[in-house]
Amino acid sequence: MVDAFLAVLQRPNFLTVVIIFVWGFYIMVTRYNLVKKLIGMYLIQTSVIFFLVSISAKKGATVPILLSTTEPVKSTIYANPLPHVMTLTAIVVGVATLGVGLALCAAIYKKYGSLDEEEIIKKLE
Amino acid sequence: MSHQLPAILFLLPLFAAISMPVVCLKHRHWSHPISVATLAVMVLGSILNLHNVINYGEVRYVFSGWTVPFGIEWVADGLASIILVLLSSLGFLGVVFTGPTSPKALGGRIVHYYILILLLLSALTGIVLARDLFNLFVFMEVAAISSYALIGVAGGRALFAAFRYLIFGNLGAFLYLLGVSYLYALTGTLNMTDMVDRLPFLLSSKALVGGLLFMFIGLGIKMALVPFHAWMPEAYAHAPDSTSPILASLLTKIALLAWVRIVYWVLNASIVAYGIPILLLVAVFGALAAVIGASLALAQRDIKMMFAYGGISHIGIILIGIGQGNQTGFVGGVFYLLNDAVMQAALFFLAGVAFCHYGIRNIDDIGRVGKQAPWLTGSLVIIALGMVGLPPTGGFFGKWNIILGALEAGNYVSVAAVVLSTLLTLAYFVKLFEGIFCQTSTRLDVQFGEIPLSFKMTLGVTSAAIILLGLFSSPIVQLLLNHALPPRF
Repeated sequence: MVDAFLAVLQRPNFLTVVIIFVWGFYIMVTRYNLVKKLIGMYLIQTSVIFFLVSISAKKGATVPILLSTTEPVKSTIYANPLPHVMTLTAIVVGVATLGVGLALCAAIYKKYGSLDEEEIIKKLE
Repeated sequence: MSHQLPAILFLLPLFAAISMPVVCLKHRHWSHPISVATLAVMVLGSILNLHNVINYGEVRYVFSGWTVPFGIEWVADGLASIILVLLSSLGFLGVVFTGPTSPKALGGRIVHYYILILLLLSALTGIVLARDLFNLFVFMEVAAISSYALIGVAGGRALFAAFRYLIFGNLGAFLYLLGVSYLYALTGTLNMTDMVDRLPFLLSSKALVGGLLFMFIGLGIKMALVPFHAWMPEAYAHAPDSTSPILASLLTKIALLAWVRIVYWVLNASIVAYGIPILLLVAVFGALAAVIGASLALAQRDIKMMFAYGGISHIGIILIGIGQGNQTGFVGGVFYLLNDAVMQAALFFLAGVAFCHYGIRNIDDIGRVGKQAPWLTGSLVIIALGMVGLPPTGGFFGKWNIILGALEAGNYVSVAAVVLSTLLTLAYFVKLFEGIFCQTSTRLDVQFGEIPLSFKMTLGVTSAAIILLGLFSSPIVQLLLNHALPPRF
């Protein structure tokens, strides 16, 4: 048990991922304000993106551009570009979703005059 | 030309969607004929693609010439081609159906609506064809974002339902992405074909189990599997009448298809992780969904809500078939998926006609139109036969194969779940027919006019398709057996 705990502390990045994810989920579930729910959603997105960046991080590595085509490629000195590309795409996807979410929030506010989930449900009935 | 066809099928609706704001800036009413024409071409193209795949084998398409482990690969195999025909023809029918409903339901947002529908269909094409786990995520999100907007496009109650769907759907998508990044960290590849070779050495890894679990929960939210289904009925019930047929018939089924791809094409189907066979898990969740979805449908008074819960129970039945791990069950599941997509489309077309033309939302009101609605009652009888699963319809043969598969696997709980779900389905359709034929409620004296041609066409074509899928079930099942089975099966 203690060993497992220490092993987690050895990897602070992954601990951060879990904390941000759970925090975002907690906000999403417990808050009644719709914008706060979106903030929770965005925290979850950020935690997953942070995980992707963490698994590709490498100490002392450089950008993956070959300077000469004749020398053999040493994979250890280059950072892996693929997770970064995935990260960029995931950020774009997340921002687009957030945009649609905020647009829906604005339309809901115009119609019901409130962003509180309970008040809106009361008005729906 | 023929090896470019899968990419063309994807690009066709995408380009139509992009060019539509320019073309329809001045002439708003052009958007309908343009979408109908685009999707008609897409239907023809997908049939041609199916013909090519059956005769000359699967088409592998690699983007911009990057070879397989590095570039993004699309494969149009038998299963994908069959689903593409289904997808494009249901999309075509959905757009034809939109014509007369749109002025009432959508107001001035017709052009936006058609752009979103075309984007949704091209993204779903991408999900069906993609053989790259991350590519799958991107298309899933494009489809999801278009569907959030499609549900909210008409405003009103749908806005809140769309917001809930957005919160749930986004959680699902990012759980899936987390699972994908686990698998990427484990294997170092995202290509499904490439991953197959690397996974057998990593079966004891905890990361594999964790990644699969996250992917399953993520896709489970997307396919409205029972513990995660809370977003689905409200979103489909309050969505504009022209939108819900396309969403209900395609969105959840394509997410299910993505899970089938991962289980059968990436993993070996018989994989056992920590003493739990993955397929058994799928079958158990399917059995739960089949029974709980149908019993929730029984409790509804709103027609669209009832049909949406019916859709949840049918997702469960498909999963039961998929989870048996033998050919009969798999083919039965896929065949039932085809049937269920058609039946869901037909049900929501019917609900749309009932509301737009007759103003009916509730099953208590259905008796009021009585004999004035021959198309409505006629197609409802056929759909009910299909949903319950009586012999001349495709629903029967799908369930038959699923039950045979479950018996072959010795999985009697699954058989019981299918039978129980069928009985519950029968119960809620009896409730619906009681409303129509017993006519306890007072008649309305209003004379309803003739229903528009496109309503007749969509109801007629989908009802005919339900019967035809049953009559031609043995060639279709044979086709699935020959061309749609996963490798190493």
